Amino acid sequence: MVKLNVAEARDEDPEQIEAEAGRVSKIIEVPEGAEWNAVEQVMLQRRSIRKYKRHQVAPHLIRRMLEMGRYAPSQGNCQPWKFVVVRDAAMIQGMEDFCVGECKKLSRGLDYVNYPKGSAKHFVTRAKAKLFNRLQPNLLHPVPVTVLSAIAEGRFAVFHRAPTVIFLLMDKRGIGTPEIDIGICGTNIVLAAQSLGLGTCWVGFSKFLNQSREWCARLGAEPPYEITEAITVGYPVGEPTRLIARDTHEIAWFEGGKKDILY
Amino acid sequence: MALLSKQERRHFPDWDDPTECIYHRVAIDLEACDGCKLCTLVCPANVLEIYRNENGKKKARVKASQRGCISCNNCRAICATGAIGATQANDFVGYYRQLGRGEFALPRKF
Repeated sequence: MVKLNVAEARDEDPEQIEAEAGRVSKIIEVPEGAEWNAVEQVMLQRRSIRKYKRHQVAPHLIRRMLEMGRYAPSQGNCQPWKFVVVRDAAMIQGMEDFCVGECKKLSRGLDYVNYPKGSAKHFVTRAKAKLFNRLQPNLLHPVPVTVLSAIAEGRFAVFHRAPTVIFLLMDKRGIGTPEIDIGICGTNIVLAAQSLGLGTCWVGFSKFLNQSREWCARLGAEPPYEITEAITVGYPVGEPTRLIARDTHEIAWFEGGKKDILY
Repeated sequence: MALLSKQERRHFPDWDDPTECIYHRVAIDLEACDGCKLCTLVCPANVLEIYRNENGKKKARVKASQRGCISCNNCRAICATGAIGATQANDFVGYYRQLGRGEFALPRKF
């Protein structure tokens, strides 16, 4: 057992120490029903932007966003991320083509909606899809499958023709669950972007690139790193600023010896 | 006790059965819609399109044969006249049935 040096501190009252030091921090009072503050406003107005202006984002803004990512909390402060910024249209198109190719293969092999009901192809593909669905229930949720087919049919772009794509590479040796740290880091980046008037979209389909030795080498996604997510960045088309409705979720609230369910 | 029955856990919804994958809960106020086309551009599921009504005016509508509306409300966020928006979250039967969801609500101030 590792013995931590906490014995002396155990019985001390932190508020007493604060008072003795004469450095009592103030409690900020926020009244009920107060207006959203700047950070909350940014969080509420963030949308996943999939249509961008051609205008490239200035390099210093990308650096600003990544700087916020650098300050994200991580398990044991392990910071299990590596950033790759791609701003060459031809390179983005190359990655797009590779991912579209993978989507086409998967869509043809699994999405039975592509084939007329009652046909042999529909029957066989559906049987295969049902099995895969059981084995990979997260990947083959009905929603990503519709996206997969939209990409395969050319109705949807993987990287949304964005002028800049940021890849979040994960160090697989990260402490605990590094996937979560990547998510937190990316959230910092995305919210910073929103505050700078930029639009972003998380691109989970970027993980297909892990299957290409060539792209992995080029992006530096070699062990112990792997591509976990990509974030597209650019100026949004139109003004997607109206606040929108979302699901409310059950909140179990334990207080005063009883449990309440709120939404 | 599990929140999904054994039967539900084993049932994966059919992607082409609209009673099993519940999409398309988008309402459009045709009076307010000015046919600007921005919603069709930003819809990730590509389920919106513009048509001309009996008076020759451009209006938005949900395509007949497309699946995939995920109630993301990108259409609502970009609509200058507030004419369009998802009114309900999507849902699925069986394994993917949504759990613990309340009403579909705008940001609330507490």
